[in-house]
Amino acid sequence: MTDLEKYDDTFTTSFSIQQEDLKGLVYQGTPAWDSVGHMGLIAALEETFDVMMSTDDIVDFSSYEKGKELLNKYDITVA
Amino acid sequence: MDTEAKVLRDLSAYDIQQYQQNRYPVLFIDYVEEAIPGESAKGFKNFTFNEWYFPAHFEDEPNVPGFIQVEALTQLFLMTFLTLPGNKGKKTGFVSIENARFKKKIIPGDRLDIQATLKSYRRGLARGTSVGYVNGEMACSAELFIAVPDVLNQFTPAGKHL
Repeated sequence: MTDLEKYDDTFTTSFSIQQEDLKGLVYQGTPAWDSVGHMGLIAALEETFDVMMSTDDIVDFSSYEKGKELLNKYDITVA
Repeated sequence: MDTEAKVLRDLSAYDIQQYQQNRYPVLFIDYVEEAIPGESAKGFKNFTFNEWYFPAHFEDEPNVPGFIQVEALTQLFLMTFLTLPGNKGKKTGFVSIENARFKKKIIPGDRLDIQATLKSYRRGLARGTSVGYVNGEMACSAELFIAVPDVLNQFTPAGKHL
């Protein structure tokens, strides 16, 4: 499984959504991506990629696309 | 600001209210014997016939309503992480309650001894278990998932704009 597939899988599993829902998805763009869901997503991504994200990056993680950009900082190529 | 977590012992109802915002008539723990911040807490609630809900639940068979048992379990659980540095006095909210079990009817005169264990606390989200005993016999238990909105919002994209 590629890093992108892992990234997508974490999103779809965390929010119980489909692959086709991911493009353009933003924070609070689906009911499950609320403040609690955000922490769940971050925790799941940290576990999946074995990283510890900074507070600034967690706050900046405002969309599916932005998340890809941020994870590149941790040497995870999902773009 | 408190910067160091230390073990707390023998907290009265007044002391408890410095750590959490529950107040009469919905403060459901009387005493905290020990709170180890980030780990565990134990304490108790005495149920007397003067409790406001006994005349209504039920007139001919007074016993503690399940939601109050859950609240008592939760309020003791709160002491495991509201005692952490920076969390004192913050409001909390339920995220989920799972596997709530009620094994024994709790009646006027009973003392509910509660033991709460924090499994994880991270970025304003606490997970753990709380178990209540009457006379050493398990009476109720629940797995709890609690949020501290003030802390949680510091880590959300929306929180950036608050």
